[in-house]
Amino acid sequence: MTAILPVATGRATARAFGRKLRRYPLLGLLAVLASVAASVFAVLVPILLGRIVDLVAARGSTGELLGIAAWTLVAGLAAALLTGAARWLVAEWGARASADLREEVLDHALRMDSARLEAAGAGDVASRVTDDVERVTDATQLAADVFGALVTVAITFAGFATLDWRIAVAFLVVFPVYAVSLRRFLPQAERRYAVERRAVAVQTRSLLSTFTGARTVHAYGMEDRQSARVEQASRGAVDARLDATRGFLWFSNVMNYAEALGLSAVLFSGFLLVRADASTVGEVTAAALLFHRLFGPLGMLLFSFNDVQSAGAALARLVGVADLELPARAGVGRFDVRPGVAVVATGIRHHYLDGPTVLHDVSVEIPAGRSLAVVGSSGAGKTTLAAILGGVFPSTGGEVRLGGRPIADLAPDELRRLVGVVTQEVHVFAGTLADDLRLAVPDASDTDLQAALKLAGADEWVAALPDGLATRIGDGEHPLSASQAQQLALARIALVDPPVVILDEASAEAGSAGARQLDQASAALIQDRTAIVVAHRLTQAQTCDRIAVMAHGRIVEIGTPAELIAAGGAYAELWAAWHR
Amino acid sequence: MAEATDGASRRLIRGMFRRQRRLVALTAGFWSMHQLCEALVPVAIGLVVDQAVGTGSTTAMAWSLLGIFGLFTALTMGWRTGLWFGTRAELEEAHELRMRVVRRVVTGRGIRTDRQTGELLSIATSDTAGAAELLELGSRVFSASIGLVVSTVVLVRIDWSLGIGLMIGVPILVLALNALGPLVERHTSAQQEALGQAAGTASDLLTGLRPLRGFGGVEEAARRYRSASRTSLKANVGAIKAGAAFVSVSTFTTGLLIAVVAALAGWFALRDRITIGELITIVGLAAFLTDPVLNLAHCVFRLATARAGAARVAEVLEAPERAGAGGTTAAAGPLALDDVHTAGLDGVSLVAGPGELVGVATSDIAAADAVTELLAGTRRPDRGAVTLGGTPLPELDVAALRRALLVEPHAVDLFGDTLRDALRTDDRQEDAALTRALTAASATELSDGGLDHELLDHGANLSGGQRQRVAVARALLADRPVMVFRDPTTAVDAVTEHAIAEGIREHRDGRATVLVTTSAPLLDRCDRVVFVDAGRVAGTGRHRDLLAVPAYADVVLR
Repeated sequence: MTAILPVATGRATARAFGRKLRRYPLLGLLAVLASVAASVFAVLVPILLGRIVDLVAARGSTGELLGIAAWTLVAGLAAALLTGAARWLVAEWGARASADLREEVLDHALRMDSARLEAAGAGDVASRVTDDVERVTDATQLAADVFGALVTVAITFAGFATLDWRIAVAFLVVFPVYAVSLRRFLPQAERRYAVERRAVAVQTRSLLSTFTGARTVHAYGMEDRQSARVEQASRGAVDARLDATRGFLWFSNVMNYAEALGLSAVLFSGFLLVRADASTVGEVTAAALLFHRLFGPLGMLLFSFNDVQSAGAALARLVGVADLELPARAGVGRFDVRPGVAVVATGIRHHYLDGPTVLHDVSVEIPAGRSLAVVGSSGAGKTTLAAILGGVFPSTGGEVRLGGRPIADLAPDELRRLVGVVTQEVHVFAGTLADDLRLAVPDASDTDLQAALKLAGADEWVAALPDGLATRIGDGEHPLSASQAQQLALARIALVDPPVVILDEASAEAGSAGARQLDQASAALIQDRTAIVVAHRLTQAQTCDRIAVMAHGRIVEIGTPAELIAAGGAYAELWAAWHR
Repeated sequence: MAEATDGASRRLIRGMFRRQRRLVALTAGFWSMHQLCEALVPVAIGLVVDQAVGTGSTTAMAWSLLGIFGLFTALTMGWRTGLWFGTRAELEEAHELRMRVVRRVVTGRGIRTDRQTGELLSIATSDTAGAAELLELGSRVFSASIGLVVSTVVLVRIDWSLGIGLMIGVPILVLALNALGPLVERHTSAQQEALGQAAGTASDLLTGLRPLRGFGGVEEAARRYRSASRTSLKANVGAIKAGAAFVSVSTFTTGLLIAVVAALAGWFALRDRITIGELITIVGLAAFLTDPVLNLAHCVFRLATARAGAARVAEVLEAPERAGAGGTTAAAGPLALDDVHTAGLDGVSLVAGPGELVGVATSDIAAADAVTELLAGTRRPDRGAVTLGGTPLPELDVAALRRALLVEPHAVDLFGDTLRDALRTDDRQEDAALTRALTAASATELSDGGLDHELLDHGANLSGGQRQRVAVARALLADRPVMVFRDPTTAVDAVTEHAIAEGIREHRDGRATVLVTTSAPLLDRCDRVVFVDAGRVAGTGRHRDLLAVPAYADVVLR
């Protein structure tokens, strides 16, 4: 079972969203007032219509009739204006709160503990920040309707009371029916909609991997196979939705009978009251019409229940991320960034979530300004060690010190000014090339950008781009080769200019010919810095001050290149293989 | 461009209704029944007040109650059954559209589009669902019209002048509301666009999260998303205001309708043209009429979103293919570049015949990109030809070409939830063959826990080197007569690289293989290496012999 990100409980979701709503008290107050006023005027209309019936029964004058009709028109106009205003205010209130929420969700997703993110997969997070956010945003207008309907129901009840309290009491018979069926419906609905959202997340993940891997699907001509995979996921989402709808149908059936019961009760009590001369035909008519007018808002509540539930489930998934506990952001004191920072790791142990231990008691020291190459076969723990030394995530045991300070005590921005990490994955961020670089240093000038590109050996091809630094790159835009993307990754670090750099297979992705340019670029980058280089090309390792050979999560050899070759151990064997 | 898309989305919408006609007809039928009953509710109220409440007859009251329950049974059944069929139609059609989008993107050589992956995702999910909503809207419009017709008939029977007045007045109101449609549509599509862009930004940032954390860009990334989200909020509020204005106007028109009808009917009742019961029915009906009218207005409102979604789906479905294809059936044969000129190559010829393992080493990356893209058929040469078995690639049928030639992309994308799933590209592949391929790619340690070894999302729990080796194994398993690898071992250590080179050589025995690489271990196993320097072939021969060429040695011995 894939570990998936948490989903908040109903109560936690309501609390969290309530907090967001309370950030806009004035907007909220106006929204509530406008909704109430709109409903009051809307309820006035049938009451005035009842007065017309009474007037006709009492053979009143045409003038009086026109007077009441004029008031009906005024009430209708006021209701129209206020309904629009209420809808706008409530929807904007909700929209602002959900915008705050989605920003918090992305913020949390970006800062989330890496192990959890890796386990959940980018797809789950992506489906939350796209699909669920959209569902919640779309639901803000719906929420305005639902809120309006709820207020109308409450105000209508008050309207009954102004007509005849005994009819109002008769009307109350519907509430036990609503209460009992809601009690039965809500828990199972919550479960069904949660299942549905999970099925949709699976579908999103399947679609995302298909679209990102479209080239591979083309290469193998396996469109049928891949489509079948997506089909299965999509079918799962459809079935889950149908299942949720089935439960909803039962509920709506009961609701309709509740309406019939309420109407009968109102008419029957009216019948008895009129017979006892305790009420007028006009009042009974107004009551029946009032109740009839409730069908609209009640139906609206019913009809939107599906969407409200599924928006609620989406909201719970968002709050699940927003309420995640973030890794501690310790350290507040300013750190003076000296040119030389030594990296010292003592007794590092690590395992991912419940996985096996991938690093055992690794201790290593890289003096300020010196470089260490890490070599070893795939799966030896090189990448994990590099990530831990770079503070990408904390180790499960042991301690890393940068310039004498424990890495855990450093605030994130301090840490990033100290250490730059070039990861195995290379990503070209969508936007202009300058935007891409400025992700690292937002206030960098164009001159800074040019200097960083020059260091990374990318100045020439960037100058040759159609719009230079303003060329749009990333998905679907001007394509960059693997080595160009790598050079951008190096340029970002050059821009940050940290005293410590960690290059994890920085020249690996470029593969063939570009590797040499990249080697030069990374050599320029590690010049005068403390550097840890995860090297696959032994020529790259040879240029470092020292080399550590890793196997099965341990450092098995460490020394200068010459020492290791002379020692005739694992590195010497690798070197021989390389030179064969 | 806009008109072409318009035509395309109309075709799409027609097709949707054609495919789901049975379910849509059932939905519309049952919802019409529901509307009919809804229209009869005020009539029933009028009748009950007139015949039972007014007269005090217990028998009449008893019949009234029975009648109300009967009416509501029909009403609820109509609504419920309609909703069931409607939901099914909508979900089935959204699924159908989603699958069409997916097929369009993955079939052949894919489509030319400037949509980002995130946007494609949003088209395949929310836009397909939005487009399918049109089916529900169609049924709703139909049934609301039935409700209007029934009310009109009842009114005409009570008093023809009121009936005629409503018959003329209501359509005018609906048309007037329709005129507001474009305003709402403009705001709604701006909202969807902004929302899509924010989603695109979010998924772009999340995809690059690991590098992002490495260079400390999280703060700035969060700030950028906030700014996209604020733009989206602004568009959202714009759409909300447009929607609110629309609601105001529609509520006002219905309010006006009710006041006028009530005043007229009251006047008729005062002059004894109609009874009190009839007055109540008319007033009730006028109140009910707001329902179908608002319903229609609401449909107009949602139509905008749904049509915008349909247009985006149609855009993807009708997007041009990335590269055309011919109809000639591909036959396996030598793969050749014949005096090819393109960016990075300046007249290069090379050939890989059956049984040959040919290395292509280039001194600059543009040349390597050019060779790979030409062989994959995603790039056309400016001059010269790329041929398989003597036929230029563009003239070959894509499906047959894929069975004859595989160009494994350098960027590794794995699919499926298990190792077996990730390796298999068709169903005939046996486990024994899978194991052989894994052995050749030196990836047996992955299958230690069996071929059912679980892979998380995209194989994200594998290291870069592991992913590359799984991709090599997958390619070897696919076993095409002609195969091209581009830098397949860049994330693999030196010792393993030697083993993989040996594995590829053995596994590809008797077939044509091209390795575009500068890796010495791989090139050393090739029958022949073609060295491309400054866009031209600067040497051909065995790796060891070519090492005498200084430029070659400089590229491969690093």
